[in-house]
Amino acid sequence: MSGGWSAFVEATVRTATPLGLAALGELVVERAGIINIGLEGVIIAGSFGALVGATHAGIAGGYAAATLCGVGVAFAFAIFAVWLRADQIITGTAVTLLGLGLAGTLYRAMYGASGAALTIPTSRALAIPILSRIPVVGAGLFDQPIVTYVFYLMTPCLWWWMYHTHAGLATRAVGESPSAAEAAGVRTNRVRLWSLLFGGAAGGLAGGTLVLAQAGTFAEGMSAGRGFIAIAIVVLGRWHPLGVGIAALVFGAASALQYVLQALGLNLPYQLFLAFPYLLTLVALAGVAGRVRAPAWLARVDEG
Amino acid sequence: MSRARPFSTALNIVAALALLACGHDRASQAIDSTHAGSSFKVALLTPGPISDQSWNAGAYQGLLRIRDSLGAQVSHIQTKTPADFEENFRQYGAQGYTLVIGHGSEFQDAAKRVAPEFPKTTYVTTSGATTGPNLAGLSFGFAEPSYFAGMLAASVSKTGKIGAIAGQEIPPVAESFRAYAQGARAVNPAIKIVTSYIGNWDDVSAGKEQALAQIAQGVDVIFQNADAAGLGVFQAAREHAGTYVIGSNSNQNGVAPDVTLGSVVIDLPLAFLTVAKEVKDGTFKPGLVVLGSGTRVVTLVLNPTLASKIPNTMRSRIDSLQAEMVAGKFQLPAASDSSAHAKS
Repeated sequence: MSGGWSAFVEATVRTATPLGLAALGELVVERAGIINIGLEGVIIAGSFGALVGATHAGIAGGYAAATLCGVGVAFAFAIFAVWLRADQIITGTAVTLLGLGLAGTLYRAMYGASGAALTIPTSRALAIPILSRIPVVGAGLFDQPIVTYVFYLMTPCLWWWMYHTHAGLATRAVGESPSAAEAAGVRTNRVRLWSLLFGGAAGGLAGGTLVLAQAGTFAEGMSAGRGFIAIAIVVLGRWHPLGVGIAALVFGAASALQYVLQALGLNLPYQLFLAFPYLLTLVALAGVAGRVRAPAWLARVDEG
Repeated sequence: MSRARPFSTALNIVAALALLACGHDRASQAIDSTHAGSSFKVALLTPGPISDQSWNAGAYQGLLRIRDSLGAQVSHIQTKTPADFEENFRQYGAQGYTLVIGHGSEFQDAAKRVAPEFPKTTYVTTSGATTGPNLAGLSFGFAEPSYFAGMLAASVSKTGKIGAIAGQEIPPVAESFRAYAQGARAVNPAIKIVTSYIGNWDDVSAGKEQALAQIAQGVDVIFQNADAAGLGVFQAAREHAGTYVIGSNSNQNGVAPDVTLGSVVIDLPLAFLTVAKEVKDGTFKPGLVVLGSGTRVVTLVLNPTLASKIPNTMRSRIDSLQAEMVAGKFQLPAASDSSAHAKS
């Protein structure tokens, strides 16, 4: 059964990686007082960018293009949400629909209705010496594509940045009380913009992961709601980088368990298995709801 | 505290309009102007993207075949929700389309509601069983070729464990998977069969994970029917030597030629053309149109690249059974639970 364990851990990490990357990006955005529910559009833009980049410039080009496309979509959101102060929920919804529609339209325009099935090279797993030899969990955690290690490293780095640097403090201040931050000399709009662009880069990278480290192809709608799950993971992780990293892994584990349970051939309605990760998230949210507080200025358009 | 900005309301309206525009764009009609002005107008509604190399791609090719062979003016639209189904059926009816095809059993309810409003338009739902004066169901004999796919899977499997993966457990999928299991047991009564559902038809990564989980349990042949999400199943097999896939709906042997044993192919272009021709000639009788045993519409197409992986005896057995099916002489053995099968 050790093979089964290892497969479970691997599936957990694979599922958690794009979700964790997108959620960490969204975390920074939300700590700056903005909610980008256009994250789904950012991710699919990243996936499409990865396809285009990888067909022309290899895997590294794919990741670069994915990140750039994510930044581009986030910038479009920033124009409306930061400078024009449009409602973030409406703008975000528009960005999601725009991203999904645009990616599909461009895909058909560039690759034809028959598509470009399975032609993208995928990045190989890179085993970390020593760590990948740890029994049971080693291979699952430390024999993964490079982008997974980006997720691992980003989690503590963001924690350090958010709580131990001036920029991190300024970002949190903008999310809690923009007027106080402004009075202290923080350029609030600049902080919001940079947070959004970082969130876009991370979301684009998440979309690139789906194509370059997992599917090996692009399909319309392949983001399949991950942007919204990532937003839930930010809440589940209580707006804290370490919490968000762990929450992504917990959601990944719940999904992986669902895959394994179905593959075991248990005679239960499959809908139960599919609902499992979401039920777990709901229960966990209900459990932390009383003790968790969102950034005070989250999604508010007025200046304090 | 809250200084409302005078133009923020205006902006919200702009954003809302943009939203509407985008929403509309996403489901926008693609009208082909090749035969603009033709009085024979045919529309297709698909539940998913036509780039899925499977169910929806085949339907779109069918639509193009109608355009090219019958000189029809054609239009395609990708729909998402049941509310869209009804709205689009109505739109096409109002625009005087001769034939409107809803590509999937999920379109039946909407077609049933809209069809009486536009008696001059013929509505057809694929995999549907609902009929009316101008409403037909087009059902495919997916069971027999799926039975052959089961025989194929069982004869190639070395582990004695085979899998099936689909997006959701819709009736045609359930029927197909039941026949698949039956065919596999006919070859190897002790074979183990596991079935997984992804929950949607788009999530390629989740499709791959379901396949990897089955592979980790020892499954070495997977029959997939998950449209775009099924691309992940091929990818999983490509990464695990000795694992093979059987495709569905369209000929997917070219999607991943090195791991695809064969495909249960619905010749949607042939099916659509058959129906459209009759509609155009005015000979079409709305009702339940069954294109199955006795036709070449649904067949198991083996992948020549992997011919060496299939035992010779099995290949000739499948060939002769399939010839019987096309001649209308093949009868599926009665299943132990034949409730769903009885319908077709």
